[in-house]
Amino acid sequence: MSDGEKKLTDLVPGSRLRSGGKAAAAPEVDTDRRVVLRVGVTAALACGTVGLGFALRSRDGHGKSKTLPKLKDHRVDKVAGATEMAIARGADAAANVRRAVAAVGGMERFVKKGDRVVIKPNIGWNRLPEQAANSNPDVVAEVVKLVAAAGASKIWVTDVSVNTAEQCFARSGIEKAAKAAGATVVHPDATAFREVDVSGKLLHTADVLFPFVEADKVINVPVVKQHGLSGATMAMKNWYGVLGGQRVKLHQNIHLSIVDLAAMIKPTLTIMDATRILLANGPTGGSLADVKQMDTVAVSTDEVALDAFGAGLLGLSPTDVGFIVEGMKAGLGTMNWRALKTEEMGG
Amino acid sequence: MRIVVFVVLALIPPTLIGSLVWQGGKAPAPERAAKSTRPSGQDADADLRALFDAPFVGAKVKDKVALYDDKGLFDYIDGAAPIFIERHFRKLGAAELSTPEGSDLVCDVYDMATPENALSIYSAEKSANAKPVEGFPDAIAGPMSFVFHHGRYYTKLTAFDAKAEAVLPAVARALKEKMK
Repeated sequence: MSDGEKKLTDLVPGSRLRSGGKAAAAPEVDTDRRVVLRVGVTAALACGTVGLGFALRSRDGHGKSKTLPKLKDHRVDKVAGATEMAIARGADAAANVRRAVAAVGGMERFVKKGDRVVIKPNIGWNRLPEQAANSNPDVVAEVVKLVAAAGASKIWVTDVSVNTAEQCFARSGIEKAAKAAGATVVHPDATAFREVDVSGKLLHTADVLFPFVEADKVINVPVVKQHGLSGATMAMKNWYGVLGGQRVKLHQNIHLSIVDLAAMIKPTLTIMDATRILLANGPTGGSLADVKQMDTVAVSTDEVALDAFGAGLLGLSPTDVGFIVEGMKAGLGTMNWRALKTEEMGG
Repeated sequence: MRIVVFVVLALIPPTLIGSLVWQGGKAPAPERAAKSTRPSGQDADADLRALFDAPFVGAKVKDKVALYDDKGLFDYIDGAAPIFIERHFRKLGAAELSTPEGSDLVCDVYDMATPENALSIYSAEKSANAKPVEGFPDAIAGPMSFVFHHGRYYTKLTAFDAKAEAVLPAVARALKEKMK
């Protein structure tokens, strides 16, 4: 046995060389080579397996490993004596937006020169404006114009559509209207999401569209609809549309997940579109038989109050809607919207 | 060889667990049009796809027919899914069609597994303001919409302009004929 073979014997405990006879020297050397080969192959496969794990991890398209802190609080200070909720009614949706926003202090109260602002309509569905499944494009465009006039340096309009985003953004009329008004429209591509801390009762982290991480101000522009699972979808439920991932998990505890999201975002202002509302077969809709023309826009910083008002338009009591009750319990606002200082304007 | 197999098998679980921990246990990236991969019901899937095969009175599938199972259904109709799942929904075939005139409509055919389930969801979703269709039992039509049930299928057609709306009854009849 050579010196080299002895060293190999020492390095490989349990090798046959330890108990083998001298006469079998040649086959034992082959065995040693096989052992070395086994170790090498094992190491290679182990590295490959570990590599596969990393590859699987990076296939989410985000390529990140760090959870960002909670989103900032986008609300502005209250003004003593100011109108807390404004309801404008009339055939001109854009005029309703202007009047209601003016009544709560004007867009300049909420958006300062140089602010970067994200506007979040409901663009979830491959539906026409007349089918009332999405926010009204005239309402969205007017909000963009008001934000631009207030001096915003950047205006994003975005949503995570349920149906194919390209179809929804086009069919809803929102992409065209928002661009024409001066906004940058962001589609929910896989690279558009950032993971943030939520620390909610149900949600711990969430992947949100990047404008919500980067914006100085957030304006919610929901539409009022009946919803098969939650009873209604209005302001608070609209935050489902900032999230990536599969919705089925959130729907398993829908009311608490809605409240978690509403607590996460804390918008600057909410402009609720009730130009047309969907009374049945929501949130998808499709038949105009389920649509009611309301010609109404309501504005407030209190999403719970707006949802309570919207529930009334759908013929529901606020106490019928779990997330309104839970939202009030969580301190997000009041379902007794009539207790707020409210200004109502007719057509 | 046994050593190699043992080492590889031993490494797979911790590697996958490590991968999940790295991701923070959150849901995977958006997967909007989740197709079913369930091996069972392949014949039923083929039947469902076949409904879309030939042109409907000149209207053709624009892109592809997407199939959704009970988990993927939320990704297509969101919170409307539970009332289908409660009624033992099996699978949805959905496609956008284009008419020769260039108008678009959406065709959603829900395979509810049995005629009773199809009737149940039809009754549950029946809009009070929609109208019965003369000569077409078990159908209602609202502006831009045509809904019917036949056999185990519940079908919703949605138009996006007046021209597409005008062809909805003919598309519905063509579909119903194929369902036989």
